[in-house]
Amino acid sequence: MVANMNVSVDVAYKSLNKHHEELCGDKVEILSTRDSNIIILADGMGSGVKANILATLTSKILGTMFLNGASLEDCVQTIVKTLPVCQVRQVAYSTFSILQIFQNGNAYLIEFDNPNCVFIRDGKLFPISYEERIIEGKTIKEFRFQVKTGDTFILMSDGVIYAGVGKILNFGWTWQSMADYSVNAFRSSYSASRLASILSKACDDLYMQSPGDDTTIAVTRIIEEKRVRIFTGPPLRAEDDLKAVRDFMSEPAFRIVSGGTSANIISRILDRPIKASLDYADPDIPPVATIEGIDLVTEGILTLSRVLQLMREYASDNISEEFFFELDKPNGASQIAKVLIENCTHLDLFVGQTINEAHQNPGIPLDLSIRVNIIRQLADISKKLGKTVTLTYY
Amino acid sequence: MKDINITICIGSSCHLKGSRDIVKIFERLISEHNLGSRIDLSGSFCMGQCAQGVCVKVNGELHSLRPDTAETFFNDVILKKLA
Repeated sequence: MVANMNVSVDVAYKSLNKHHEELCGDKVEILSTRDSNIIILADGMGSGVKANILATLTSKILGTMFLNGASLEDCVQTIVKTLPVCQVRQVAYSTFSILQIFQNGNAYLIEFDNPNCVFIRDGKLFPISYEERIIEGKTIKEFRFQVKTGDTFILMSDGVIYAGVGKILNFGWTWQSMADYSVNAFRSSYSASRLASILSKACDDLYMQSPGDDTTIAVTRIIEEKRVRIFTGPPLRAEDDLKAVRDFMSEPAFRIVSGGTSANIISRILDRPIKASLDYADPDIPPVATIEGIDLVTEGILTLSRVLQLMREYASDNISEEFFFELDKPNGASQIAKVLIENCTHLDLFVGQTINEAHQNPGIPLDLSIRVNIIRQLADISKKLGKTVTLTYY
Repeated sequence: MKDINITICIGSSCHLKGSRDIVKIFERLISEHNLGSRIDLSGSFCMGQCAQGVCVKVNGELHSLRPDTAETFFNDVILKKLA
């Protein structure tokens, strides 16, 4: 393992509320420090408001204290002494897991009474050894290990391993079956979000769409830096075309050209022909084209606004497994969105600001007529999804 | 090289003005007249004449079409060239 590897993480989670509950008693916090990413999953005792408060307090306290470098002992002590005591059970209680991944590849996992983390490496379950510590009378498991690219961690609340209990399964899903299912469902190309959706759907099905407990899955994948570059729009001054194309081509990346005129500029400067197809994968999105050395060539404004729509849907909390079928479609917009969602840690946008006069007509909605607006929104949403974004205007 | 090369603009502006419909109409007419061996139909990104859309080039010559004029154009211009 290279000690100074530069690790990125892809994190996503999905919760099902216990049926008839408006609030979830599980809470996931995702934080980043200068040199690490931290994922916390807390499961408050009971359900509804009370559980939600317990889980929220626990995850927030842990997060804040961890961010400030507090020791595990201090964190646990603080939680035990701060959580309100449940009137019914006379205890203050929330289980939790904390996964901390450092950029140098070191990892630290703490578990208190949550089901064990499912750790997948090279497509198989990978057991890691741990030490037990007793803090404030509570047994806590501590794991220290090194991660490598492709490693996938699944944190969960106990609603997952009990899915279906007493209904379609006598004892619920059980940890082992859940872990085996995860290994089967796992594909190295899947994003954390896709895997979380698949597993959450399985829980929902086992509960027959009526979960008997709050059920949360949090997936963390260790990924390499993946740079994606989009060139869109003709520069304001034609003499900047060359510079824009040079900048765009300068570093290794997955390269996308979006826009007819933009593709013509690339084709002219690189002296490589554009081959446009007439294959309408989607009636509303113009066909894609090919230019040698460019990974994806699409139409501009219509395609990008569909991309934005897909990204917005993805960023909302209630995406379903069906969403990913949409991403798998061959039209230009789905292809771009899929790359941005599933295969991108760094996004560089090269944006020419020339406005196509022909787009200023009543047939095209006003907000579509300005490419820069769409690009700005695309940049914002990509940042929100944890990607590092740069914008260069010409 | 076939007798006639038809290139239809599939850029944003022409797309919105119905280039996909024109592609479908031409594909249908080419197959109805059994002209697949003589006519080459292809797409092109923006031809830089967005205001004239839908832009259709026939052997390099630019024409401005609409979906409702496509069939007449095919019969009057394309078929005549082949006659």
